[in-house]
Amino acid sequence: MACNRRIFLKTAGAAGLALTAAPRTQAAARPDGPAVLVDTTRCLGCHSCEAACAEQNGLPAPAEPPFDVFVQRRTTTTSAYTVVNRATEAAPDGSERYAKTQCLHCVSPGCASACPVRALEKSTAGPVFYHADRCIGCRYCMLACPFGVPKYEYEKAVPYVRKCTFCFERQAQGLKPACVEACPAEALQFGRRDALLLEAKGRVFAPESAYLPHVYGERESGGTSWLYISDVSMNSLGLRTDLGELSPSDRTDGALSAVPVVMTLWPPLLMGLYAFAHRRDTRGAREEERHV
Amino acid sequence: MTTTHDFTSLYDARALEYALAVVFLALFVVLWRALEAPPREAVAVRRAGWFSLPEGVRLHPGHAWARLEADGLVSVGLDDFGHKLIGPLRDVQLPVPGTALGQGRPAFRLAADGASLPVLAPVSGVVAQVNELGRRAPGRLHADPYGTGWLLKLRPHRGLQANLKQLLSGELARLHMERAAERLAASLTPELGALAADGGAPVHGFARELDPDGWERLARQFLLTDDVKDGGES
Amino acid sequence: MSDTLALRPALRPWLREKLLLGRGLRDYLRGFANPADLFTLLVLAVGLPILVARFAFGLGAVTNLSQQTPWGLWIGFDMLCGIALAAGGFSLAAAVHLFGLRAYEPVVKPAILTGFLGYLFAVFGLLADLGQPWRVWYPIAVSFGTTSVMFEVGWCVFLYTLVLFLEFSPALFDWLGLRRWGRALARLTVFLTVAGVMLSTLHQSSLGALFLLAPERLHPLWYSEFLPVFFFVSAIAAGLSMVILESSLAERLFRDRLGRAPHDLDQLVLGLGRGAAVVLFAYFFLRLQGLARGGRFDLLSGTWGGWYLLELVGFVLVPCLLFVAGVRADDASRVRFAAALTVVGVVLGRLNVSIIAFDWAAPVRYVPSWMEVAVSVTLVTLAVQCYRFVVNRMEILGRTA
Repeated sequence: MACNRRIFLKTAGAAGLALTAAPRTQAAARPDGPAVLVDTTRCLGCHSCEAACAEQNGLPAPAEPPFDVFVQRRTTTTSAYTVVNRATEAAPDGSERYAKTQCLHCVSPGCASACPVRALEKSTAGPVFYHADRCIGCRYCMLACPFGVPKYEYEKAVPYVRKCTFCFERQAQGLKPACVEACPAEALQFGRRDALLLEAKGRVFAPESAYLPHVYGERESGGTSWLYISDVSMNSLGLRTDLGELSPSDRTDGALSAVPVVMTLWPPLLMGLYAFAHRRDTRGAREEERHV
Repeated sequence: MTTTHDFTSLYDARALEYALAVVFLALFVVLWRALEAPPREAVAVRRAGWFSLPEGVRLHPGHAWARLEADGLVSVGLDDFGHKLIGPLRDVQLPVPGTALGQGRPAFRLAADGASLPVLAPVSGVVAQVNELGRRAPGRLHADPYGTGWLLKLRPHRGLQANLKQLLSGELARLHMERAAERLAASLTPELGALAADGGAPVHGFARELDPDGWERLARQFLLTDDVKDGGES
Repeated sequence: MSDTLALRPALRPWLREKLLLGRGLRDYLRGFANPADLFTLLVLAVGLPILVARFAFGLGAVTNLSQQTPWGLWIGFDMLCGIALAAGGFSLAAAVHLFGLRAYEPVVKPAILTGFLGYLFAVFGLLADLGQPWRVWYPIAVSFGTTSVMFEVGWCVFLYTLVLFLEFSPALFDWLGLRRWGRALARLTVFLTVAGVMLSTLHQSSLGALFLLAPERLHPLWYSEFLPVFFFVSAIAAGLSMVILESSLAERLFRDRLGRAPHDLDQLVLGLGRGAAVVLFAYFFLRLQGLARGGRFDLLSGTWGGWYLLELVGFVLVPCLLFVAGVRADDASRVRFAAALTVVGVVLGRLNVSIIAFDWAAPVRYVPSWMEVAVSVTLVTLAVQCYRFVVNRMEILGRTA
């Protein structure tokens, strides 16, 4: 087999390897983007936020406790954009802890970076918005979200992705999200992300505070808009702690940056190989061969 | 999942990656040589129209060739024209060492696509050696018909010089091949004609191309064995 | 009847010659009474109703996909494996038209046909899997998710399927009697081949890049920044192996079509085996590099480690060594066996990344439903039947001028 083929493959491989090595462009959080601080030490587990969300979005009323699988973790569904779960650990003082789970509206959302048609889109206002009129149903967003947020309507003939909208329309009118409005215990605080980060750190690092020294969502998976502080471990609240600081789009950056390079380099490389391989294909050379 | 390690462990980690790459490069050389085609005996090849015919080889009109080797034996095989005429060989029936062959008499048989074609011996002699490649991989014989594709080595009889005078060599051999090629060109089908126009090589197995039903008879005509009955060898 | 005959007097006999191979309709249908065709009818009888149900009642009615597992067999096998196994098209086209290895000319057309049908049916598998398949063209013309690897895959697959069709079309036009169009398209060969190699590099690697953004979900032995490179290189090996297998099968099954001057297939198979040996060798070491970069060697002990080693050693290194042994011994059947192992290995590798080692730690694992398997079998069977249809009518096998 020609050496050319091997050289070609090696070049391709080397280029690919070099380009997949490191992320190039990282999305930065807009400091004044909308965010919510979830202080689980204040959450009563009353589920008012679930009811408010269902009412706001025209969803069926949420299930009422006692849940027959209360001890297991409930997840959001196509008709329940937020659920409250009890933590598997008790607080230091023995009381129960609860945490509300919903789309975290990441700074650099995996779902939005993965969507081939921008059906899930990080809006300039902040929330990760779903355009149902664009979605083709590839479900790549479900693969991309490290928190497993997007849910799909498998039972329908015309299915859509369903998730928390961050009450996009209410925010546009200057209102707080319905769940934040409904919370009776001030466990949910809506505001600017940078301000809430300061507030969270203030509480967490206050002298004699019972909080664990971590603001979840500050950097996880590139940072989220829903920040959690707690005096029980994040794992016990159902939040993944094995996520790095790289967002999903950071991880595909290298591979995607190789695309224009391949489109630029391959044609000249390949045509060069073609010219080299066919350098004898001139009439003069052929005539020489035919002549005895 | 992310793995975190302190910087100092990176020295070993990167070193391992380099080591793997170096090992690969070393083994790659071994692999490449393992995959190389078997070495061909150096023969100066001259072309006769579409077919090759090297120096030092004498041609029998029935398209067997003979070459006097340094050790006194005579190598025998089928020429390039004959190989291309017949096409991919399924089997080669060579006589056992010790068999006596007569010049111009059937020496061996080539089996291809259901037909069995006898080929005439170019010189008289006793079979001394038989090429293992003919038994193991007959399909590869045509790749180097005058080198690794030799079929028999004969210990020639005392009348070798007289035999050799019957054979064609040099310019005469080339003319014979070209004339055979011209006869071929005269009976070209349109497809082969197009191939000829751009200087391509004839199809491997062109007898079948020319005459799908009667190709065996056509081939025997070129091999000068159309009168040899099956089962009649030396 | 006389009216239609008067309008197009040559149409019916022309149709009969082209579609029914010159036989009468009843005679042609009677030819279906053989095991292979009856099996096909059985497969269709099961698979087509399932597809109807899938579109009428939704994915949930037919598949075992869940909120935890959004991608299953149709993506993992029909899409990912189908596209890898169709890679022989660009590999052989590059070998013959760019690198000038004219000896492989006889296998280019079958490879292009396999490539075209492979991509076509991979897209059909995608259409079965998409929630709203009537919107499949959206990334092309409606809304561009330029940050997405899948956007790039979509465009490249779309363009490359077009390229494959154009490369295949001279045979199609010759069959339809439009030889001039065929000649005109044949002049585009070098351009199409370069475009094909470029597009194939991009999307074959991007199918691997799809999984880059889910490191927490893919088992660390399989997850690597080099996934795109792995997918691209393994696709070449898969493509070469498929050409070996499919041309050997075709030679045996379509011997009557090959009647005129068969090329020396064993020689070509040995040559392709040489190429496959080199590619697999490089691929093996690339996988080791991936392990080294991630510091994963300690994970090789244990069940998952054993499974990984089975894939890497048993289905990459072993076929590589078999290819070498086969080439050295001039043993084409050993090369064919190595090709079969390679194909299984690439399929296994893709299934590992997409289904088996994906969400490996989840409490409930995904297993494809029998209906998903039936649909995949249906698509493969239909692809094979299309291949037979084309080969029996068009100038694909055997030497062409």
